[in-house]
Amino acid sequence: MLVTFFSLLSCGLAAQAVEVSRVLPNGLVAQAEFRRGAADKPVVVLLHGFLQTHHFPTIHNLTENLADEGYSVLAPTLSLNTPNRSKSMACEALHSHTVKSGVTELGVWVKWLKAQGYRQIVLSGHSLGNVINVAYLLNRPDPAIRKFIGISIMEARLKMPENERQALLQQLQSKVATGDRRMVETPFSFCQKFRSTPESVLSYMAWGPQHILDGIANIRVPTTMIMGSRDDRLGPEWAARLQATHARVIIVEGANHFMDGQYEFDLFEHMRTELKGL
Amino acid sequence: MKPRSIGQLALLYLSLFTLMLLAMGVYFWHEIGQTHLQLQEQAARTARVEVAEAMEALGKQTRALGENLAAWDETKQQLVFPEYYALWRDNRVRDSGLLPPGVTAVALYDKAGNLLIDSAGGVTPMPRHLPSPPPATLLKNEAKRSYLYDFLPVYADPGHSVLLGYLGLKTPLREALAHIRAYRYANLDSLEMTLPAQATVDISHAMEVLLVNARPSPEQKELQRLLQHSVARLSLAVLLGLLLAAWWLNRLMVRPLRRLSAEIDALDDPDGDLHAQRLDLQPLRVQELENVRRSFNDYQNRLAELHRNLEQNSRDFFDQARRDALTGAFNRRAFEEDWRGLGQSGRHEELALILFDCDHFKAINDTYGHNVGDAVIATIAQRLQHALRTDDRLYRIGGDEFATLISKTDTLHAQTVAERCLEQVMSHDFHAYGLTEPVTISIGVALILSETSGSERITLSELQKRADLAMYAAKRPGGQKIVFYSPQTEDMKSLVANSAINAVFQAIQNPELIEMAYQAVVRLPLLRHEYSEALARIRFNDTLVQAEAIFPIVQARNLDAEFDLAVIRAIRRDCDTGRLPEGKGVSINISGPGIVNARVIDALLTLLATEPNRKIVVEITETALITQMDTASQNIQRLRAAGALAALDDFGSGYSSLRYLASMPVDLVKFDISMVQLLETGLPRQQLIVQEIAYMVITAGYELVAEGIESASLLDKIVRLGFSHAQGYYFGQPGETPEHVCEGPLSALTAVSHAQPGDIAPGTPLS
Repeated sequence: MLVTFFSLLSCGLAAQAVEVSRVLPNGLVAQAEFRRGAADKPVVVLLHGFLQTHHFPTIHNLTENLADEGYSVLAPTLSLNTPNRSKSMACEALHSHTVKSGVTELGVWVKWLKAQGYRQIVLSGHSLGNVINVAYLLNRPDPAIRKFIGISIMEARLKMPENERQALLQQLQSKVATGDRRMVETPFSFCQKFRSTPESVLSYMAWGPQHILDGIANIRVPTTMIMGSRDDRLGPEWAARLQATHARVIIVEGANHFMDGQYEFDLFEHMRTELKGL
Repeated sequence: MKPRSIGQLALLYLSLFTLMLLAMGVYFWHEIGQTHLQLQEQAARTARVEVAEAMEALGKQTRALGENLAAWDETKQQLVFPEYYALWRDNRVRDSGLLPPGVTAVALYDKAGNLLIDSAGGVTPMPRHLPSPPPATLLKNEAKRSYLYDFLPVYADPGHSVLLGYLGLKTPLREALAHIRAYRYANLDSLEMTLPAQATVDISHAMEVLLVNARPSPEQKELQRLLQHSVARLSLAVLLGLLLAAWWLNRLMVRPLRRLSAEIDALDDPDGDLHAQRLDLQPLRVQELENVRRSFNDYQNRLAELHRNLEQNSRDFFDQARRDALTGAFNRRAFEEDWRGLGQSGRHEELALILFDCDHFKAINDTYGHNVGDAVIATIAQRLQHALRTDDRLYRIGGDEFATLISKTDTLHAQTVAERCLEQVMSHDFHAYGLTEPVTISIGVALILSETSGSERITLSELQKRADLAMYAAKRPGGQKIVFYSPQTEDMKSLVANSAINAVFQAIQNPELIEMAYQAVVRLPLLRHEYSEALARIRFNDTLVQAEAIFPIVQARNLDAEFDLAVIRAIRRDCDTGRLPEGKGVSINISGPGIVNARVIDALLTLLATEPNRKIVVEITETALITQMDTASQNIQRLRAAGALAALDDFGSGYSSLRYLASMPVDLVKFDISMVQLLETGLPRQQLIVQEIAYMVITAGYELVAEGIESASLLDKIVRLGFSHAQGYYFGQPGETPEHVCEGPLSALTAVSHAQPGDIAPGTPLS
C-alpha cells in the first residue's frame, strides 16, 4: 500500500486528509482520501458519481463536514481501469470499466477499512456511485457494513427513445455475446458520446430504475435515501418509488441532484442525523 | 605659380565640391549598403537568437505539455490496458487538447523502450525504440524535414515511483517553432539542420546544427531604398544647386571679373579700342564688384579722356612733327612720308614735283638778321600756299627750299602753277621787312606724265633728281627762274652727282685736291700779262671737277666761305711751291659770304702779309648777293689797305650791280662775259648800253676788266672802249702756271695793238 500525506492542516483540530492507495486485483493502483475520525464513530465510505473522483464537490464537502464532525471518512476514486486515476474521466475516454469492477474496488476498500480496525462501516455515495454500493450490498457485503445512505441515487440510462434504446441494447448485448470489444459511442448518462466497450456500457445500463429499486429492496442493511426535491432526473415519482422500498427516504426541499450551495448543510445535517443512529 | 583665372578657380572649386559631394554620396551610398549588410548580419544573429530562444521555449513547452500528456490518466491507462492504444493514439490524444501544438505523431513505449504496439514491418512515424533514455528532447532529419522528438517517462503515481512506460512525441521542427512564437527576424522557411540522416542531437545543442537565415525585411529594404534614393536625390539636388550656384556665381562674379580682367588686359593691347570695350554700365549685384566696376569705369573714363587727350596730342604732335613751325607748311618729314606713300601706292602718274628755292636767302638772313629771314620765308610760304590749290600740299624741305606735289597734272598745268607761284612771290612787297633788294625764287619742275602721252615712264626717284636738276638750272645766274626738266638740264647733273659733292667737301677738308688754273689778265693796250685769275678745280678720284660744277654746289650747300678759305690755302700752296712764280700777280675769287667772313679776310690778310711783292686782286663775285654791304666795304678797305686790289666780278650779270658799284670800294670792275659778248653779238642798243656803262665805270674812276675775250675784234672793241684789262681764251687757255697760260696768245696781240684806248666815244656804235 502506498500512503501519501499531501496535506497537514493542523494536528488535532480536524482529521488529517490522507491519500491512500491500493493495488487492485487487476494490478492497477487506486487512490482514496482517508480521514481518520474518532474511534468510537463509524467510518463513512463516500463513493463518487459516474466518471467522477472523490474530489467532486458534493463528496469533498461532505467529506470535510463529516471529518470535522469526528467521523472517519474514506472517499475512494474508482480507477475505471486507470492507474492512479485522480481526475474525472471524459465521456470520450476509452471506457472499459464495469459496475462489477467498481464493486470489486469497493470491496478492496472495505477490506482495507476493516484492516484499519473499523467495525462499523457506513456506505454512502452520490448519484450513480450508489449503484456500485447497491451492487456491492447485494453481493455478500462485509458484515461491518452497518448502514447505507444513498444520496441522489439514480440510474445510468441511454438518452434515446425507448425503442431505440432497446435496439441499441440488443446490439450491445449482441456485441458482448460475440466478444466484440470494439468501442462504441452511446448517449449514456450525462455523456453525449460515451465511448466504451459494449460490456462496459451494458453493465451500467443493466441498472435501470426498477433494477435499482429491486436492489434497494433486497439490501439487508438499514438504508436511507436522501433526495433533492428538485432532482427530477428520474421523474417526480422516483422518490415515491423509493419510499416503496424498505429504505428511508429523506427529501431535501429545494435541493437539486448535487445538493450544492446551502443544501450541502442540509445534506450534512441529514447525514449526521442518520449516523447518530448507529 | 601661374595665376589662374577666376573662371578656372571657380570651375576648380565647383569641380572639387562636386567630386566631394559625389564622394560623399558614394560614401553614404556605400555606408547605407554596409549598414544594410550589418543590419542583415545583425538580423541573422538576431534570427539565430530568436530561433535559439524559440528552441528553448519549444523544449520547455514540449516538455511541459508532454508531461501533462504523460500524466494524463488515459495515457497511463493505455500503458496498462493497451487494447485501445491505436484509438487512443489516433483519436483520444488529439481530441484531448493536451497534445502540444504541431505534434504529428504520438507513441507510447513500454518500460523497455520498445514501441508499445509495433505494426510489425510497417512504416511507423515514430522510432521503434527509444533513441536515448528519456526524458530527452532530440532533433532529427527525416526525409528532408527536421523533427523534434520528445520522449518522457510515464509514471503511475504522482510521486513518479511507478514507471509505466514512455511517451514519445514527434513534431515537425519548423511548424513547432512557428507555433511557439512570432518571428520578426528569423525566416523559418530557410531553416535547415546540418545533421546526417538517422543522427540525432539533443535540443540543447540544436543551434549547433541549425541554420537559419534572417527574414527579408521589407522595411529595412524599403528604408535602404529610401535612404539611397534620398542620398541620390539629395546629391542631385545639391548638384543642381551647385550648377545653379555656378551659373549664379558665373553671372554675379566670374563674368564681371572676366570682363573686368579683359578690360584691364585690353589696356595692354596697343591696338585695343578703349572705347569699344567698356565694361557694362549696368550695376553689378555684388557690392564689392560694383565698387570695383565703378572705380574701374571712373578709371576708364579718366583713361579714355586721357587717351583722347593723348590722341589729340598725338595728332597735334604728329601734325606738328610734319608741320614747319615757322611757315605752317608741311616739313621735310611730311614730304618724305608723302613721297614714300606715293611710291607705295603706285599713284605717280600725271604728277609734277615743283621745287622752290629762295635766291640768296642766306645773304638775306646774314644781312638783315634771322627775324627778317624768317619773315621772308614765312611770306614766301604763304604766297606759295596761296598760289596752290587747297589740296596741294606745300612742303618746306630746307631752310629756303619748298616743294609741292601736283597730282593729275600735265605740263601746261604745272607751268601755270609754277608761274602763279613765281608771280605771287615776286609781286609781294618785301620792303616792309627792310629789304632793299627784291626777293626772288627759283623754280624747278619735273613731271611724270601719263603713259598715254607717249613720254617715257620714270620713277619717283628719277623725278626728284630731275626736279633738282631743273632747280639748279633755274638757280644759274641770268637764267629762267622757272625751269622744267629737259635733256639740256642734264648738264646740271654734276651738281647732284655724289662724286662732285663729295669732291667739294673733300677739297674743303684737303685743299691739296684743289688744282688752280691760272688765266692771264692782260694790261691793255699793251697786252702785258699783269696778273692771273686763279680758277679753282678739284682733282678727285682722277677726275677733274670743273668750276661750273663746283660753285653751284658751294652755293647750294652754303659752303662759300669754307671753299674760299680752301682756295686761299691752295693759292698759298702754289706760292710756296713756286707754281705761282715770285712776283706774279694773282686774282682770287671771293664769294659774297666770304668777303664778310672774318676768317676769309684774315686768310687774305695773311696771304698779303706773306706775299708783299705779289700783286693780289680780290675779286668779289657779283652773283653772290652782298647784303652786308657795310661789313663787306670795311673788309675790302682793310684788304686794300693791306695792299690788295679789289675787283667787282661778273658785273652785269646781277640786278643791282650799279648799287654795289657805287657802294663798293673796289679798284677794278670786271664786266661779265655776257655783257662783253654783247659788244659783238648784241643789238645795237645793247652794245650802246654796254658802251655807256663802260664809259660810266671808267668815268667813275674804276679800271675795267673784260672777260671772255675770244677774238681780236672783240679785243679791239674793248680796247677802244677804254677797258684797262682783258682776259679770255683769246689770250690762252687757263693753265697750271701763269707762264704756261700766257705764252701763246700774247704773241698774236700785235695785230690789234693799233687800237687806242678811248677811241670809241660814248654813244658810238661798234662795228
